[in-house]
Amino acid sequence: MLRFENVSKIYPGDFVALEDINLTIQQGEFVSIVGHSGAGKSTLLKLLYAEEQPTSGVVSFNERSLDSINRKHLPFYRRNVGTVFQDFKLLPQKTAYENVAYALEVTGETDEDIAQRVPEILELVGMGNKMGKYPRQLSGGEQQRVCMARALVHHPMVIIADEPTGNLDPNSTWEIVQLLLKINSLGTTILLATHNKVIVDKLNKRVLEIDDGKIVRDNEKGKYSSTTPKAEVNTKSL
Amino acid sequence: MGTRITKIKRTFKEGWDNFRRNGWLSFATVSVLAISLYIISSTMIIGVASNIVLKNVQDKINVSLYFNSDVPDDKIQEIKSKLIGYQEIKSIDFVSKEKALEQFKKLGNNNPSITQALDEIGDNPLLSALVIKAKSAEQYDIIVKAINGSSFAGDISRIDYEDNKAAIGRLITIIKIVEQVGLTLGIVFVFIGVLITFNAIRLTMYAHKQEFEIMRLVGASNIYIRMPFIFEGIFYGLFSAFTVMLALLVTSKFLAPITQGSISGGDIMDFYLGHFFLILLGLLISGVALGTISAAIAIRRYLKI
Repeated sequence: MLRFENVSKIYPGDFVALEDINLTIQQGEFVSIVGHSGAGKSTLLKLLYAEEQPTSGVVSFNERSLDSINRKHLPFYRRNVGTVFQDFKLLPQKTAYENVAYALEVTGETDEDIAQRVPEILELVGMGNKMGKYPRQLSGGEQQRVCMARALVHHPMVIIADEPTGNLDPNSTWEIVQLLLKINSLGTTILLATHNKVIVDKLNKRVLEIDDGKIVRDNEKGKYSSTTPKAEVNTKSL
Repeated sequence: MGTRITKIKRTFKEGWDNFRRNGWLSFATVSVLAISLYIISSTMIIGVASNIVLKNVQDKINVSLYFNSDVPDDKIQEIKSKLIGYQEIKSIDFVSKEKALEQFKKLGNNNPSITQALDEIGDNPLLSALVIKAKSAEQYDIIVKAINGSSFAGDISRIDYEDNKAAIGRLITIIKIVEQVGLTLGIVFVFIGVLITFNAIRLTMYAHKQEFEIMRLVGASNIYIRMPFIFEGIFYGLFSAFTVMLALLVTSKFLAPITQGSISGGDIMDFYLGHFFLILLGLLISGVALGTISAAIAIRRYLKI
């Protein structure tokens, strides 16, 4: 479903963010991406939601190279990929309901359709009773649930979660992970970039470790533990 | 189709909200755009009105060629057909000596003393003439010179050239100066107007930075992200156009007394009211065009999708 073939990403100033990445992810997988800060995790994810283009190599989605997608059609591709971030990226002047509805409004859904789908999806993430609250009135965990509802509202095939629990307390962290597992069980592919050792170890799912822009480990049912000394320090610090 | 209309409705509302929420910034933008449009439109109105005045004056000018009394009418007709070939000449009227006499009598309201004087002379003292109108005021000189150098110059008794040349020349110079100054000022202000509008839209973009990121992430099309700014630009243009319509109305009312009778028998207010919809249409088109261009520049420079 998702494929990286000899993908490199070099930023101006000869900064190599990713180097010769070869990777395949199947539909319905739950993949944790680990590695220290600046290792290249976020760049890898950005290539997937087409925020960045590779310097060389091919990133493909359902056998179609993202390179071949016309810029005009990129938004349609992005509707297949839901994104969740550490900093939530919610609009402060909109309620939970409006934040999710916004994702449907911009893609031209009808008001009736929005009125039907938004409560359903907020219910799914356990926010059905807080639809009218503004982000400032919600806890970190609740805000992240709203983000997940927004990411899910287009029924994406993949959810990309870049450090979604980075700002959350342990309880909220675990709730978000449970939610990701629930979404995954419904068939959606999950890519989770995280520094959280406990989560990765508990998940016991596929683990990719990135270090200095390269995939240094790809375990079918992996743990957070790393092979590189640099990453080891990180692990210990968690 | 329904989706498209929904999107247009939403982006239109977003553009209107941007315009409304900008408050003083919108006011300043509309003001500068309106000044630009006012200068350009008033220059154009002065240009058009002056040209009407000029045309009226020009229509009254002609050159009359009076032929020697021994030149037969046939020959004059022959000369007329030669002259009509000149591209500078708009029209030629033949006035026979009989017709000239008739007109002369009419001019004198059949005054008995004039009739008596003519009777005393016995013969018709007037000469047959060709009355020539040129296509433009500057061409009379060329025509007169050409006639003086022609083969039939000897048949001409005299050439009457109502020499309003100096006055017309002055009028043309004034019109040209007004047009040039207005156009230069207009261009400068259009530039400033576009710059201010562009800046207002840029500030809106800055305020909505986070929304762009989210819109992009949730798959909003590029056109959907851009449209609110285009609408915002259009609003600046529309409001400027209406402001200028009002400003022109006030100006026309103010200038009406001093322009009385000079523009096709009316004044500048009649001209404004007579061309109301044309001026409004012109202003709306230019306002919308300026707003859209400013928005397009801002989008191109600052909205990375």
